[in-house]
Parts: sequence; structure tokens; C-alpha cells
Amino acid sequence: MNRKTLLVVLSLLVVSALLASCGSAATPAPAASGPFAGTGVAQGYTGQAVSSVPADLVTACKAEGMLTIIATPPNWANYGEIFADFEATTGVQLNSLDPNAGSADELAAIEANKGNKGPQAPDIVDVGYAYGAQGVTAGDYQPYKGSYWSKLPATTLGIATSDSNGMWTTGYYGIMVIETNTSVVKNPPKNWSDLLNPEYKGQVALAGDPQSSNQAIMSVYAAALANGGSLDNAQPGLDFFKKLNAAGNFVPVIAKVGTIAQGATPIELAWNYNAIGDQQSLNGNPPIEIDYPSPSIGGAYVQAISAYAPHPNCAKVWMEIIHSDPGQLAWIKGGASVVSEADMISRNAVPADVLKTLPDPKVLAAAVAPTVDQLTTAKTLITGGWLSTVGVAIPTAAP
Amino acid sequence: MPFFLFAFMFLLYPSSTIAVRSFQDTKTHLFTFQNFVHLLHDPNLINAYWISIKISLITSLGGGIFGFLLAYSAIRGGLPPFMRSSLMTFCGVASNFAGVPLAFAFIAMLSPAGVLTGWLISMGYNPYFHGFQLYTFWGLSIVYMYFQFPLMVLVIAPAIDGLRREWLEAAENLGASGFQYWRYVAFPILLPSILGTMILLFGNSFGAFATAQALTGGQINLVTIVIGDQLRGDVLGDAGLGYALALGMVVVMAVAITGYTVLQRRSERWLR
Amino acid sequence: MKRGNVIWSWFWMILGIIYFFLPLVATFLFSLRAQRGVLSFLAYQQLFNDNDFIKGFSFSVLWGVLTIIVGILIFVPTAYWVRLRVPQFRTAVEFVTLLPFVVPAIVFVFGLVRTFSQPPFLIVNSPALLVAGYTVLSMPYMYRSIDTGLRSIDVRTLTEAAQSLGAGWGIILFRIILPNISVAILNGAFVSFSIVMGEYILAQYLAKPAFAPFLAFLIQQKAYEPAAATLVSFALTWACMGIISLFGRGQQTQLAGGH
Repeated sequence: MNRKTLLVVLSLLVVSALLASCGSAATPAPAASGPFAGTGVAQGYTGQAVSSVPADLVTACKAEGMLTIIATPPNWANYGEIFADFEATTGVQLNSLDPNAGSADELAAIEANKGNKGPQAPDIVDVGYAYGAQGVTAGDYQPYKGSYWSKLPATTLGIATSDSNGMWTTGYYGIMVIETNTSVVKNPPKNWSDLLNPEYKGQVALAGDPQSSNQAIMSVYAAALANGGSLDNAQPGLDFFKKLNAAGNFVPVIAKVGTIAQGATPIELAWNYNAIGDQQSLNGNPPIEIDYPSPSIGGAYVQAISAYAPHPNCAKVWMEIIHSDPGQLAWIKGGASVVSEADMISRNAVPADVLKTLPDPKVLAAAVAPTVDQLTTAKTLITGGWLSTVGVAIPTAAP
Repeated sequence: MPFFLFAFMFLLYPSSTIAVRSFQDTKTHLFTFQNFVHLLHDPNLINAYWISIKISLITSLGGGIFGFLLAYSAIRGGLPPFMRSSLMTFCGVASNFAGVPLAFAFIAMLSPAGVLTGWLISMGYNPYFHGFQLYTFWGLSIVYMYFQFPLMVLVIAPAIDGLRREWLEAAENLGASGFQYWRYVAFPILLPSILGTMILLFGNSFGAFATAQALTGGQINLVTIVIGDQLRGDVLGDAGLGYALALGMVVVMAVAITGYTVLQRRSERWLR
Repeated sequence: MKRGNVIWSWFWMILGIIYFFLPLVATFLFSLRAQRGVLSFLAYQQLFNDNDFIKGFSFSVLWGVLTIIVGILIFVPTAYWVRLRVPQFRTAVEFVTLLPFVVPAIVFVFGLVRTFSQPPFLIVNSPALLVAGYTVLSMPYMYRSIDTGLRSIDVRTLTEAAQSLGAGWGIILFRIILPNISVAILNGAFVSFSIVMGEYILAQYLAKPAFAPFLAFLIQQKAYEPAAATLVSFALTWACMGIISLFGRGQQTQLAGGH
């Protein structure tokens, strides 16, 4: 019995030590701040209050007490800075759900939590362009035309910037680039045709599974543009990857910042803001080079307020912030291109040091973005054709 | 009984949504057989089942055999006693070491830029020149074993414990050789448990997907990955199809379980 | 025969050790590279400075233990009853316990969330749902372990002996049966615990600060810390298992006779 009580005491000590080490926050009930609200902006940035947000909205938001956002990692286009700005403006906690989710997950979360006013129900979503229209059809969004509405350009990258009823708005967009770990790959590829060089055997990877990941699909789509295809014809993209795979250059591992650093996927096709995010996070260990291939594809992301949002006023404050100068500037610093960019530059609202980091305007001009219909056609083609063109359909006899 | 109430509320009812939704068209929510028709006519999907079954069979067999050997060695093999408890606790952790961290560990070890690869190369042997590939069906099987072996060890251990020492001694007294002991005494007794655990391993592998996706980016066509794509991808997925696929998985498992039950009842007749 | 046996045992063990440890070593070596050009523990430092890591880990440990307890409370009596009194239910019960296996986790979680996020069952915020979900997920392993354990002891005789001595059901179950299958329960507990530690989907959709979502998040953001986190969690979980097994060892010394 003595030994047993000793064990009980010992384990209780261990458990309580673990719990105590994180202070009062370790209660089984979900904390209002959500799992990962605090992490993100590495520099210890504490956020600045955004003055352009209407004061009545801020007050209403404070009364609501929380904002739930989903599928938005802090290092995606420097969202972390915007998180901090939100909290500084309203004093309200930000609850960040499921940073790894995809756009479809976000809509699914809205629909699954229709009656739920708890922290599992997202207030704001940030989804791929096609999901703007899809969400409207599904009735997932509520309209909001904020103070920024009249200043939005009509089109971005050739496609409509926002829904005419205010259901969704484009905030930022990115260009598909080639991201290379230069300590493993001494001579980084600069363009699509370079990727086929034998020196890159087993080194080229995608950011996700082309059967489900938006980023990966757009990589294939971009390859199509460079190999005789067009926005209406994505098949050459599949063919390109078939060649890449046959040459042995394609490695099927899903690239993450860890696998890039480790050397398993030293060359990745990704959105430029993600590549820049990786560059910042790795901080030279190892060094990352970013090359803008030409032609390339642009991908826009839109933001919308959930029709069933438990905290609609906080959601509106959020929309105001992301379209304010500090919000758009945060995205620019994260490497994305923003809808108000031209306007901000003309007003000298972009600091000189940030201006320097912007990609070459010619490159931006060369990027094109597909309309919703083109996107749908391309996605169906790519997701359906990936396995048979590039995949391991039937494993051959064991080696 | 509380068990059934619990099972009903938390398992059966939510799971029945699969059955319901698999008969629903994704967009209109109308009753339809379309999802199943699609499934049965799409060679890619049938292939996915086949590949999933193959990998599950292989890893459950391999995992079962090696896991059993490990467990037996630690428990009855004459090794120092601390090895048994270390093995058990380690297996506890390893049995759920899966997904991206596991894939990454193997990548760190065996990828062209990996630690083990580098070490082998420095000794003059480059496995890649000899046709080794990590991101393939067989590479994936090797990785899957990481959680299959431990599971086998953990679940079969109590059964091995149940092998009374008296039986071993009695057999030896009667002049049985080691082989005969195994064939006539130990093996028949252990068989139901071994089979049962292998089914567990089969199901474990059949339902796994995170590891496969991380390691091969969806290139290897597994049912679970397809379901995941349909239910939650970034793309315009077809949820009805996803649920139909899940129902298909239930069917496959049901067949496997029936087979196991039959085998188990038969082999149990030899017990006592 | 004995001597040959031991050599074989060592052979299998060493093979196993190599297979299990090499990937961990590789991960470890990678985690040391956080600082350019230098082998250092920087990744670990950054990890331990991260509040969310400790929060996530202790959350999952706590809920792992709770799941084990709930599992024991539900499954031991059930398995016992089935074996002893109602063997005709055996197939049905086995089928049910294997069901969580069959249903892919993601489908199950979706179903769970959808069912319980609307009235009248709006308990999606409650920790009870989390425990229930975890218990269901660990059910195949826990139940099977317990069943295997019960199979290797003579339940009927023990029960009759205890009853003839005047013991009630509670005592029979918890003072007599439980200690005799402690090995099986322990192993089931290990698997349940590690399931909870590694479980991602349920915690994610219920927005709970568990460890696995944290790890996934880390993998997206950072390069070296996930490797460190993986190893630390591996080691800590192993330590927790060790503590749990010491509990079991304490029980076992109380067994009369036995093997």
C-alpha cells in the first residue's frame, strides 16, 4: 500500500507541475482565446489600433467579446500582424480555428455550426476565389459594404474584385512562384522549363495534394499557361507534370517549410506570400530564393462574414481593418499583393522600405487570374486527371 | 445496459449519417443511387479500394508476425525484465506515432537527403542506385509498420502471458521438441488472439491516411485519401460520393470481421 | 532449447530497436540544426518558451487519463457481463466495438459534430463530448485488450468463488476481476492514451487546445521546432506511460498465485 500511495502522490505531482507551468490557462473548458491565438508574429509586435474603423462598430464588438476566424495561419501573408492589430483596436480576443483547413472546410464549418453560438462557429472566412460564388449560392454569407467599399477597384487581375451585393470581397492575391532551398540546390531553377533539367532529380514538389489543395491545383494550372495551355485549357499542366514525373524530378512529398529545410523537397511551387513567409521563418537557415516564372498565375482570396456569425459586429470590424491602410500594408509586408495597392502607392501610403520589397510590376502585370467558370473547369480536369496522368495507379511488382 | 446507450448515442447515431448521406446527392440532397453507381463504375475508385486492402493485408501480416516475435521475445524469451516494460511503454507511444511527424521522421532518415542514406552512401552503398524508393507503395508499407508492430505487441501481450509455464514444462516432460510445443500447444492456443489482433491491424491500416498523404502527396490511391478529398478538400468536393466511399469501407471491414469471427470460433474449439 | 531461444529473442529485439530508433535519431539530428551551421538546442528552447506547447500537451495528458478511466468504467463491466452472462450478445457487442475502426475518423467526427451542434443536443461545447469521442475512438483497442485478458483467466470460477464468499458485484468487478486482468487493461490504457495524444481531427473540430492540432499548426509554420516537439512529446508520453505502468505493477504484486 505504501508503494501505491507513493505512486499516486508522484503522478499527482507531475500532473500538477505540468498544469501549473502554464499558469491559470490550463482549464479543461475551452479558453476564450482559442488554441493558438497568441502565436504568430515573431517580432513581438503588439499591434496598433486602426483608427479608420467606425467607433460604434468597435463598441458593439467589445460587447460581443470574441471573433472567431478559421483556416488562417498567422504566417500566411503576415496575418499575424493583422491579428495583433485587431486585438489592439478592440481589446477583444481573437479565436483562431483550424489553421490547416482548406476553403471547403471553412464553408463546411459554417454550415455545421448554424445553430451554434459557441467558439466552434466561424465569424469570418478567407477562402479561394471560387468559394466566393459558392458560398453565396449556399447561403453561407451575409453582406457588408464597409467604409472602404466605394474605393475598391472594379477588377483585380482581370476578375471581379467583389460581389455586387457585398457578400464577399477580395483582399489580397498572390502569384505562383518557385521557392528554392539554395543550400541544397546551388543553381536554382528560374522558369518552368528549367524544372525539367536532370540536375533537379527528385527535388520538385507541390504544396499539397492536387486532388484537394487549392495551391497545388493552381500550380498545375500555372504550368499549363507556360506550356501551350490557357486559362481555358489546363490539360498541358497535367502533361507537364507527367513529364516532370517521368524525368524523375517530381517528388510526391507534400512540401512544408520543414521538408524544404531538410532537403527532401528543396524546390517548391507556392504562392509568393507563402514563399516569403518561409523565407522569413527560416531566416537564412537555410537560405531561400524566390523566382517568379513567366507566365504565371494569380490567385485571389476573398473574405466574407458568415451568415450565422455569432459575433457579426466583430466580423465587420475585421473587414474594416483588413481594408484599411494598416491592414493592407500588413499583407503587403507578408508578400501578397493587395487590392488597394495602386491606390495606396499613389497616396504614398506605402513606406519606402516596403516599396522596395514589392515584386516587379511587370511580373505582376504578366500574371493572369481565371474567372470562376474557368477555375471550376480547370479544377475538375486537374483533380480528375491527376491520378491517371501522374499518379501511381497500380503498384507494379515489388522491387 | 449503459454500454449500448453510450454506443448508440455517440457512435451509431452519428455514424448512421454516413449511410444516410451516401444516398444523398451532394448538391440537392435528394435520394439517389448515383453515388454508388459512380463508385462502382470508376476504375480509379475501385483501384483505391484494392490498393488500400493490399497495403492493409501486407502490413497486418507483416506487423502481426514481427510484432508477435517481438512480444514473445520480451515476455517469454529470457530477456531481462526491464525490456518488457520498456517495450510495452514504448509501443504505447509508437502505436500512435503517425501522420506528418512519422512521415517526416522517415523522410529525415531515408530520403535522398536523409541521415541514413547519407551514412550508407559514405560507406559506398547508395540505396537509390539499387532501385530503392521511399515514396512508393512498399516504402509506405515500411512506414506503416511503425504503428502496426507496436499495436500487435500491446494487444497480444496478455495472451502470451496466458500461456501457462506449466504447459511448457509438461510438454517438455513428455519429450516434445520446441517445434512440437509450438505446433500442438502454444500456437493453437494463441491463434484466435493472433487472428483477432491481425484484424485490428488490418482495420488500423485501412483507416490510416495522414501518413500516406504526407509521404506521397496523394499519389498512392487510397480510399481514405479519396474520402478526405471529397469531404474536406480545397476543391469542390463531392460529399455524397465521400460518404458512399465510407460506406464501402464499412462493407469491406464487415467482410473482414466476419471472416475473422468464423476463424476465431473455429480455432477456439481447440481451447479447453 | 532455452539457450537458442534467448539468442533469437535478442535478435528480434535488436532488430526492433534499430527499426524504431533510427527514425527518431534522424528527427533528432534534424532538430539540432535550428541555428545555421551549429548544432544546438535552439529549437527546443523556442519550443519550451511557447506557452501553447505546454498547454496543449498537458491538456491532452489530462484528457487521456480521463478517457482511460471512462473506458475502464464502461468496458470492463460490459466485457465481463458478456463473457459471463450473455454470450449470445457477443457478436453484436464485438461488432459495435469494431465499428469505430471501420468508420473513418473524419466521417465519424463530422457526424458527431453535426449531431451535437444543433439543439436539443447542443453539447458540442462541453468537455463531455470530447471524452465520449475519445472513448469511442479507443473502444476497439480497449475492449479487445480487456476481452483478451478476460479470456485468459477463468472468469466463471473466480466469480463463483467470490459469490460464495458473499461478495457483491462491485467487489467482484473491482477487487477480483480487475487486478487479474490488469496487464490487459494496462495495455489497452496505453493505446487509449496514445490515441488521445495523437488525435487530431476531433480536437480540431471541437476547437479544443489539444496537442495534436498544435503540432500540426507548428508544422505549417516552422521548420525545426516540429521535429523538437515530436521528440519531446514522444519522450514525455513515454514517461507518462511509465508512470501508468508503475500503477499497474503495484496492482500486480497483490495477485494471489497467478502465472
